[in-house]
Amino acid sequence: MSQDKLWWYLLTPALLLDEQLALQQQEQRRQPQVLCENEGQRGRTVVQLNPAAIAAGIQRGMPEVLAQTLAPTLQSRDYDPSRETTVLQRLAQWLHQDIAQIALYPPNGLLFEVAGLRRLYGDYLELEQRLHQRLRRLGVRYVLTAGDSPLMARVFAQAGQSGVVASRSQRQQRLAQINIAQSLLPLVSQQRLQELGIATLGALLKLPEAELGARFGRAILAYLAELKGQLCPPQQWYQPPETFTERLDLLTEVSSWQQLLFPLRRLLQQLEAFLQSRQWSVTQLILCAYHRDKSQTQVTVAFALPLWRQRDMQQLVQLQLERHQLPSPALEIAVQAKTFSAREAQHQSWVAEPHTEKYAQHDLQALLGKLQSRLGEQAIRQAQAQADWRPEAAQLWQPQLSTEAAPADLVRPLWLLPEAQPITLDNWQLQWGPERIQTAWWDTEAVGRDYFIAVDAQQRQGWVFQSQQQWYLHGWFS
Amino acid sequence: MAHPLQELVHKGWLWQGREATEQLAPEQFIDSGWPDLNRRLGGGWLRGAVHELQVRCHFQGELALLMPTLVAQQKPCLWVNPPAMPYWPGLAHRQLARAPLWLQERDPKLALWAIEQALKSETLGIVVAWLNKPEAAVVRRLQQVAAKHDQLVFIVTAWQASTEARAYVNRLQLDWQNESLQIAILKRRAGWPLPAFPCAVSSFLPPRRQRSA
Repeated sequence: MSQDKLWWYLLTPALLLDEQLALQQQEQRRQPQVLCENEGQRGRTVVQLNPAAIAAGIQRGMPEVLAQTLAPTLQSRDYDPSRETTVLQRLAQWLHQDIAQIALYPPNGLLFEVAGLRRLYGDYLELEQRLHQRLRRLGVRYVLTAGDSPLMARVFAQAGQSGVVASRSQRQQRLAQINIAQSLLPLVSQQRLQELGIATLGALLKLPEAELGARFGRAILAYLAELKGQLCPPQQWYQPPETFTERLDLLTEVSSWQQLLFPLRRLLQQLEAFLQSRQWSVTQLILCAYHRDKSQTQVTVAFALPLWRQRDMQQLVQLQLERHQLPSPALEIAVQAKTFSAREAQHQSWVAEPHTEKYAQHDLQALLGKLQSRLGEQAIRQAQAQADWRPEAAQLWQPQLSTEAAPADLVRPLWLLPEAQPITLDNWQLQWGPERIQTAWWDTEAVGRDYFIAVDAQQRQGWVFQSQQQWYLHGWFS
Repeated sequence: MAHPLQELVHKGWLWQGREATEQLAPEQFIDSGWPDLNRRLGGGWLRGAVHELQVRCHFQGELALLMPTLVAQQKPCLWVNPPAMPYWPGLAHRQLARAPLWLQERDPKLALWAIEQALKSETLGIVVAWLNKPEAAVVRRLQQVAAKHDQLVFIVTAWQASTEARAYVNRLQLDWQNESLQIAILKRRAGWPLPAFPCAVSSFLPPRRQRSA
């Protein structure tokens, strides 16, 4: 029976609130906070609450008014299931690094098919530890359960029966003790079963199926088949998206990029997970701050070399943001990445001689990226030779590295003035020349110049030319 | 209160001789390409050091002086705030293998930050920076970073009539006289200051016509 499938279910009862808490400062986190939802006649009731609220005596399903009386400092916000689903998708993406088959049960549940992972991890214990580790890093409260069918795992989770390491028989025993109220059966069936005195799933499972079917209809038979794993409805496996877009609610208005660095770290962690699961790296990010008046500010962050670690990206983003200012306070922040590249294998060791050149280039790229992030892309450049007769067009300074050589046959100065300076020849002594540089008539900036090397009063050798009866200084030789 | 001697040391009038006993291995020196200069500097440009080149005016031969060192360098070099646009075809004509990285930054603090990052990365061959009479603290800091990461730095700056003490390893003063570049050594690791001597940098410049009698 070892071929049997095993399902784990992760229930995050307060996912949206936990996500918001993770972004808060320690002190704010200790304040009682709840998320409330409108529930028809009962008015607004508490849906999610943090430990501080629990300590104050607040419970789930309690009217908001009562909760306010119990904790006068209570912070209450709206619960939004669609937003929680977005957070759930993010969670699925985060866990996708470890588990390939994840099905979403919105708004707060994830189902994992783990039997196939046994060979990879050797033991469920290791996988469990890894999941615990990841979830603890996110600061999410959760229940992780195992079942022989998806439904069984979900029932355990609903009942709060945490723990995944157990044998099949232990699971059956546990299942028998589950109260009908936690069975995930429709409310009507629950009531009818309770009226008959069937209080636990164990009692239900003992009854002959044919009679149950005759009495309660086909729905309950389907339920039992699903619970036992005889019937397995197809699962919609989570497909990770091809581009990265994550948005984060800041809860309070933030007026500078500096204050955004902490929430950004979380988004970049997400991005790292996204890249890690695909073995990609990224060279460009778009940071987007959303303001109250629905306007947004975008900052494009480019890296000189492909990155994927949160630490590296954070460092460069931080340097780059020091040059920018937010026009108005931001309510939300987003990170987008659209173009990716496959990673190149890198060796840790520097011993391999033939590759040293490549490593040096890599380090140089890293330096360039760092300088450009802080000083701006145009602050540091390297030249490329261009095939053009006009001296000022014979080179192009670009913010990328180049290793190209330039043609070296012509006598040219070491320096070029950005614009030729008009001079009077009295102060100069012509020594060598002329060299006529003439461009074709179809060029927009036609050039017809006679170049000389001349020495000035300080004995400096300059590159001067005559054009239309006027002398100009264009470069220096030393 | 500082000892009166400290003031003299600060002004550069009093020197402490403890570094003279230090033995430097030949491989610590990089050939400057000029035998006369090598001899005076104890073997060439010392690595892990900041060297100062004081010039009366820009373009009077400081680049020609550095050219042999730059040409011999395999790694790319960084030029910080040069007085004009470096001209790659001209540099290539002088057999430079790779175009320099050209960094232009108006804020002196950011420029220094950039130099420091470049030195720490240890990926560059030589850093040449054109700075306007940097403060003693700045030079000391650069010297420390250069020494720690074994990097070679040249600071090109204006002539200074009175010499306050700075942490440069070598301080050279360049001037053009009698149709050749004169180099005076104001400070060096290997010994006393030396009077000006001619350096044949013209071999890295276009040929000059002899002045007619």
